[in-house]
Amino acid sequence: MNFMRFAQQQSFWIALFVGVASGSIGPFIILRRMALVGDALSHVALPGIGLALIYHFDPFYGVISFLGAAALLIFWLENRSEIPADAIVGLLFTASLAIGILMIPNDDIIESLFGAFPVLGTGFLLAILSSAAALTILCVVFAKRFLFLIVSPDLARVSGLGRGYELALLLIFAMIVALGIKLVGTLLMGALTIIPASIAKNVAPSMRAYVILSALLGGVISVAGASIASAFRFLPGPSIVLLGAAVFLISIPLRRR
Amino acid sequence: MSEDTILTVENLSVTLDGTCVLSDLTFSVKQGEALAVIGPNGAGKTVLFRALLRLLPSDGVIRWRPGTKVGYVPQRFSVERSTPVTALEFFLLISPRFWRPAAADLRQVEGELARMGLDSSILRKRLGELSGGQTQRLLIAWALIQQPDVLLLDEPTAGVDATFEETVYALIHRVQTERNKTVLLISHDLSVVYKYAQNVLCLNKSIVCQGPPLDVLKQDTLARIYGEPGYYTHKEHPQ
Repeated sequence: MNFMRFAQQQSFWIALFVGVASGSIGPFIILRRMALVGDALSHVALPGIGLALIYHFDPFYGVISFLGAAALLIFWLENRSEIPADAIVGLLFTASLAIGILMIPNDDIIESLFGAFPVLGTGFLLAILSSAAALTILCVVFAKRFLFLIVSPDLARVSGLGRGYELALLLIFAMIVALGIKLVGTLLMGALTIIPASIAKNVAPSMRAYVILSALLGGVISVAGASIASAFRFLPGPSIVLLGAAVFLISIPLRRR
Repeated sequence: MSEDTILTVENLSVTLDGTCVLSDLTFSVKQGEALAVIGPNGAGKTVLFRALLRLLPSDGVIRWRPGTKVGYVPQRFSVERSTPVTALEFFLLISPRFWRPAAADLRQVEGELARMGLDSSILRKRLGELSGGQTQRLLIAWALIQQPDVLLLDEPTAGVDATFEETVYALIHRVQTERNKTVLLISHDLSVVYKYAQNVLCLNKSIVCQGPPLDVLKQDTLARIYGEPGYYTHKEHPQ
């Protein structure tokens, strides 16, 4: 029982910090019209988990390297107008899901796909929490530049903003997804970055309010979802995502014209 | 480069997707000058501006006087209606205080908007909710507030209603003369070109002609640029 409580407490903090981080990056992913890409990006982590399980290293490192590579690939594709980026991204992401499924032993599949209440060493837990906090701060600090590149890439470049910030956005996004994958799972973690931002977009009067509201919603929804999951012994990933989807439905009538 | 030259372009060519869009342009712009770029659709006017701003790769020489600050008003600018970026936040993009703007910043923005005939209440509106004309005026105010040395205006009155069009040009002209700014302007409106530009660059992939409007804009050159003799000639002769 003590063990369960410990796991729940850890999950509470991970849900809070990773939820807030997901909510902070989400608005920029949504406004860049990358909702679907963002949603599916987390699938790429699955072969990383597979390799980790086969070669006995911590899945987190497999996850972060595969997601980082996927972010670089998206950035590279975005610069090439002659390649149909959406088709390639769609194909590649589903293919990695398929490869991952074949690589991962049956006992671990559900947990990899839909998340679990992780039990981590204190050091690792603190590393996850502080990384999530640092990434949230980066989102706030870079918000102006990310937004500038979204509103008008031309004017942003004339004002001296380089494409490096577009890469930074994708890498921050990939890292946040990586941090949440243990709890939420590879199938659903992408959704956690998209859902709070989609809800907040319906009601936010300004961009600054949008980012703050999305971050708060991200924290609240993942903590509440994880609590529901632990109370009813559900998987945390689906509980968080379903709760988020329900809040999204409620927010639709509140939409600003 | 002579002392008062702010921009020198030599043998500028732009090739996009294997097609040559601009070929071998050579011209220069003096500080305080208003240069109008005219030419038919597809002549490469916007491409020229984008090349000058280094938004497009180009061959040849583009030399701005060192330290020149360039302001740009693009022809096309649209933000989705549902994007929650307010007009105020659009100005905050160029302020060091995005999250907590200072009262002085706000006053400056409101002042610049008032000069463009915009009420400060639009600052709370989303960018996507503004009309075409409002957006255009906002973009000009946005460019001016940054105190550029050179203004690049790509069809600055597209979508602005006729009564206000004159005001926009008069304002740009005032900025140019009072603050000794350089203005590069793409316009279809030859009466504007006659009135406000000291020099004209007629473009149709390459330079067809250049010089002061009265010397350059003759019936036969216009026919050569636009291929429709007489269609674009001006009715009133400026004094």
